[in-house]
Amino acid sequence: MSKPKAKAAQTHQTGIYKSDSVRDVAESLGITSLSEAVASSLASDVEYRIHQVIEEASRFMRHARRTTITTSDIDQALRVLNIEPLYGHNPHNPPVFRRALPFPNAANVGAVYFVDDEEIDFDRVLREEKITLPKGVSWTAHWLAVEGVQPLIPENPPAIPKDVDQEITKSPPQTNGTFPLTPPSESRSTVKKQQQQQQQLVKQVLSRELQLYYTRLTSSLLPPTADSAKRTAALASLRNDAGLQALLPYLIRWVGEGVVTALKEGAQSEADGRSLEVLLDVVSAILENNTLFIEPYLHQLLPAILSTLLHSTLPPSHATHLRTSAAQTLSRLLTQHSTTYPSLSPRIMKTLLVALISSDKSKGTREGAIRGLVGIGKEAVRKGLVEGGGVKVVGSECTPGETGPLVDSVITALHILHPPSDMPESLDATNEGDAKTIEQSREVLGDFFAEKLYGDKDWVLGVLSSIKQQS
Amino acid sequence: MSAATPAASSSGGVSPTNASAPDVTQSVNSIDRLVLEYLRSRGHKDAEKALHESLESSVDESVKTVSAEELIKSLAVYAQKPSRPGDNVLKESANVLQELTTMGNPPSIQNLIASLGTVGAEEILSVDPTDKEEGFRELEAWVEGSLDMYKPEFRPILFPIFCHFHLDLVQRGFKEAALRFYDTYSPSLAPMHHATLHHLSTLLLPSHVQNDDLAQRFKNEKYVIRMSRSGFSLLVGWLTEGIGGEASGAGEGFSGEKGKRGRAAIMRVVNNHLRFDVTSTSGAAVSPNAWEESTGLLSSLIPQTNASAIPNPHAFNASKGELKLGPAPISEELRAETERVIREQSVLDRDPNAQYDLQFLRPPAIPGVVSPTESDMPPHPPSFKTLDVQREVEKVRDARKRIRLEPSALSSVDLNSAQGGAARARGLPSICAYTLHDVGEGAPCCTFSPDITVMAAGFSESYIRLWSLKNEKLKTSSIKESGSLAKLQQKDACTTRKLVGHSGPVYSLSFDPLGGSAMPPRYLLSASADATARLWSLDTMSNVVVFRGHQNPVWDVQWSPMGIYFATASRDRTARLWSTDRTSCLRIYAGHLSDVDCVRFHPNSLYLATGSSDWTARLWDVQRGACVRVFIGHQGSLSALAISPDGRYLASAGEDLAINLWDLGSGRRVKKMTGHTASVYSLSFSAESSMLVSGGADWTVRCWDVRSAGGPGKPRESTITESTIARTLDGENNETSDLLATFPTKRTPVTNIHFTPRNLCLVAGNYLAPDSR
Repeated sequence: MSKPKAKAAQTHQTGIYKSDSVRDVAESLGITSLSEAVASSLASDVEYRIHQVIEEASRFMRHARRTTITTSDIDQALRVLNIEPLYGHNPHNPPVFRRALPFPNAANVGAVYFVDDEEIDFDRVLREEKITLPKGVSWTAHWLAVEGVQPLIPENPPAIPKDVDQEITKSPPQTNGTFPLTPPSESRSTVKKQQQQQQQLVKQVLSRELQLYYTRLTSSLLPPTADSAKRTAALASLRNDAGLQALLPYLIRWVGEGVVTALKEGAQSEADGRSLEVLLDVVSAILENNTLFIEPYLHQLLPAILSTLLHSTLPPSHATHLRTSAAQTLSRLLTQHSTTYPSLSPRIMKTLLVALISSDKSKGTREGAIRGLVGIGKEAVRKGLVEGGGVKVVGSECTPGETGPLVDSVITALHILHPPSDMPESLDATNEGDAKTIEQSREVLGDFFAEKLYGDKDWVLGVLSSIKQQS
Repeated sequence: MSAATPAASSSGGVSPTNASAPDVTQSVNSIDRLVLEYLRSRGHKDAEKALHESLESSVDESVKTVSAEELIKSLAVYAQKPSRPGDNVLKESANVLQELTTMGNPPSIQNLIASLGTVGAEEILSVDPTDKEEGFRELEAWVEGSLDMYKPEFRPILFPIFCHFHLDLVQRGFKEAALRFYDTYSPSLAPMHHATLHHLSTLLLPSHVQNDDLAQRFKNEKYVIRMSRSGFSLLVGWLTEGIGGEASGAGEGFSGEKGKRGRAAIMRVVNNHLRFDVTSTSGAAVSPNAWEESTGLLSSLIPQTNASAIPNPHAFNASKGELKLGPAPISEELRAETERVIREQSVLDRDPNAQYDLQFLRPPAIPGVVSPTESDMPPHPPSFKTLDVQREVEKVRDARKRIRLEPSALSSVDLNSAQGGAARARGLPSICAYTLHDVGEGAPCCTFSPDITVMAAGFSESYIRLWSLKNEKLKTSSIKESGSLAKLQQKDACTTRKLVGHSGPVYSLSFDPLGGSAMPPRYLLSASADATARLWSLDTMSNVVVFRGHQNPVWDVQWSPMGIYFATASRDRTARLWSTDRTSCLRIYAGHLSDVDCVRFHPNSLYLATGSSDWTARLWDVQRGACVRVFIGHQGSLSALAISPDGRYLASAGEDLAINLWDLGSGRRVKKMTGHTASVYSLSFSAESSMLVSGGADWTVRCWDVRSAGGPGKPRESTITESTIARTLDGENNETSDLLATFPTKRTPVTNIHFTPRNLCLVAGNYLAPDSR
């Protein structure tokens, strides 16, 4: 008895259709005493018949110009073999079989598959989903080749750049979803695909050397921990090298993104401060390089500078330096380009003034605005601080006797208006003329800063006179 | 009825068996005893019993130890049974058994035994499965160990011997041994013979072998192998004396007992089932693909004429004499009228050059090609119509305005250089792709009208859709309704029309060619899985005639180049010729061993080419209904055919992903073109027959140079980016050097390729949405 069983066990291995399945079917029909030999040869026969049907169905598949067999092919095959077709299968929505979770109490049953039926809530469907009628069959025409050359139009698959060839090795088109020949889904991600295509086009323009240069450059600049010699060399290269025009949009974008990420995180850490510094250096280097044609990109460059300048919380260790250098960069930018862009400085002025005067701005922002005004020039300082009342606003916010970067910046700005005298001579309140000056300066500068200025008579007079001259 | 058929057919064979029975009793008895002892010693109880039975029943039926019924049952599996189309195949073996039991009387058993044929005492000897394995291992070792120059000759021997061993094992019920044998040795044969091997692997029980067509062909036909004289003598030497092969001591060798029996098993197959076509050419001169043409179960593929066996396809093709492949004659009146019209028009257009157009009316005769005369042609209406004149005039105009394609210009130029661009423009066509979107279950066919005003597509959902390509309204002139209703219909006519009538997927469509490129077509033919072909009138947009006659799905339909007649190809293994005015067919072209998958007319409409799932293409004489050429060489079912407009070449594409080019005159293969990575769905020649364009399931359109010699591809270093894509896709470069260009499409299998008379190439296919399964 044991011998035939061992033999039967071997037969199990060979066929696809197992004799166990035959037994199961027999049991379901009430036949319990099915000998192993019968079951095994029945299984073999069933397998042969299945192959016969599939072979026939594959012919229908081929003639239907498809590469996957559908239930309709099987139906057709059964029909021509003079067997009643299996009803209830529809090629429109092929059944999806799901594997059931194993039963805990019968572990050795084997995998159980079932057809997954989606439950549809009619109420919800009627309320929410708009059932759109599928579009009818339509056709489009395009040129696949014009005199032997395939035009690069969206209807044709993109040509594959030669150096990508190695990456897309043996992958049949049917199975590969990400292959450029087979965009993932045209209907859903047309926009995305177009973006990809545009990127590809640009990449083809950008030479390999430039790409390499770009990656080297950015990696040596950021993160700022990299050694300073390299960084200096990179900045020098940016400052002086010709032929970087093609990289300019990428560099500016890189700077912009870098600034955003650094500022987004609250910009409290040392590292952020340092990277901001480096980015500002990069901007100034770009501005200094006179082989670059930067004007089309000014609108992209300005937000980076202004954000650094006016951001409320810069890392304390770097704040002053950052704002100063941002202001310097801004001034350089303005001196270079305000002639070609007359509207540039008024616009920047406006931004700075808003930051300076409008209420509930932090001290950092105000300081930045003042430094920016200083960077723009004497005229801007006069307009912003004095005429716009910036000094008064700042003064009113400062507690008496306060010192700090904000106050320093105002003092610096006032220095611009008129340099302080070498030998300060303080104002005398009892003196009639001096009292008048005090009165005047209080009026213009506000109490807080007027007091700061009392120590230097010439300076006060100079400031006041410069205001008067202009007005 | 059906059970009586084998008995009757084998009655001729009964008498010799009976006559020789007494001799057998005396001479065989001693051998039989030895055999029985041998079997007993080896423990083959079943075989012993079978031998007992067969000996007892065949030698002396009066002394019967087994009951008749039992014997019938045990022999039922060996009974040969003619295959009857339309039968429920799954019931076959049961039927046989039943029929045998009903006729269970001694004389019919006698007949049955006589019909067994090959099952004899000597075969029982070969029952030990290990013999076969050992024998095949030895043979493989010998073939692989032979000199390089003989290897291509010897390799084809392995396959038939493998098949016979496998079938023998299955037939004798050694299922495990057969599967083990298959698993061990099939991988080395799989690259060449994948399809056949897979089919054989599905046979598991003796009854399957008995009922399977292919297995029966293996059993009953000789497998032909072509071999040089010296190669053949080497093989014979090895088989008889064991010369060559592996070194002694490596295996059991031919000196061992097992080896001897293995050799005997091979000898038996070689003697019974192989035929060597010994040639005097040396093995070295044979090209690597030549075996495809001369190896295989050829005898049934080649139509046999009265008793004289024809050994190979070339002999058959030669025996059929010359074909008339020249262009069809034009009646003198029609030509004169056409000339007159052309002259008139040239005067009207003030175009003096148009005078020279007349030369196009008389195409230059190609030397060596015979043109048919008026009497050869199938009957056509005696008088011509205005339509015919217009068509001929347009033909001349097309010929003048044709874009000349010279693919030969490409061969010598580097495509990347400056001249390369110009050469490309001269050598390669412009291709316009028509893509169908939102096709539900699939569109098996898509076709353009000859004047390219209408495109038609047949769908799996049983309907046909027409589109006007010029964005004009497709009008219907209704016959019955008049007045307001007709006007109403005219008003809401649109640029597309749906033709409903079939009850199964529409597999093929064909527009009537009468209008040529001058007039829109008036009729459309369709073939469908519902076993009918239908004729649709494009004037009324309705079904006019249903042609019934085929038993099974109709795979293909095509109009004759001059209208009136058309041909269909069906799963019932026949192609048929019809005329539009009769509902029954005029000719049946029978002879293919499997489905006829595609059908194409010769441009002069004297011949019809068919491609079949029996791996062959045939050329038939349309009027006589006789096969005049057979083309053997594909290693899979044929999927597409095209005949060149000059009438000299046939291109065929098969499931072996190769495109073969055949010379119709000699019936020989000109070359084999490979490069496609999936099925080829459509082929088309350019108007000068200098270029072949193919498209298929690998989402590409490929252009082939017809004139170049072909051969294995040179490693082309980034000449054309498209070809490098293809190369990286299939991993290895199997493109032949005559592949000029590859144009990938976006997920669009190309189902139809159409060259206009002016050499613009149109391709059609349906876009596969990526998420569809």
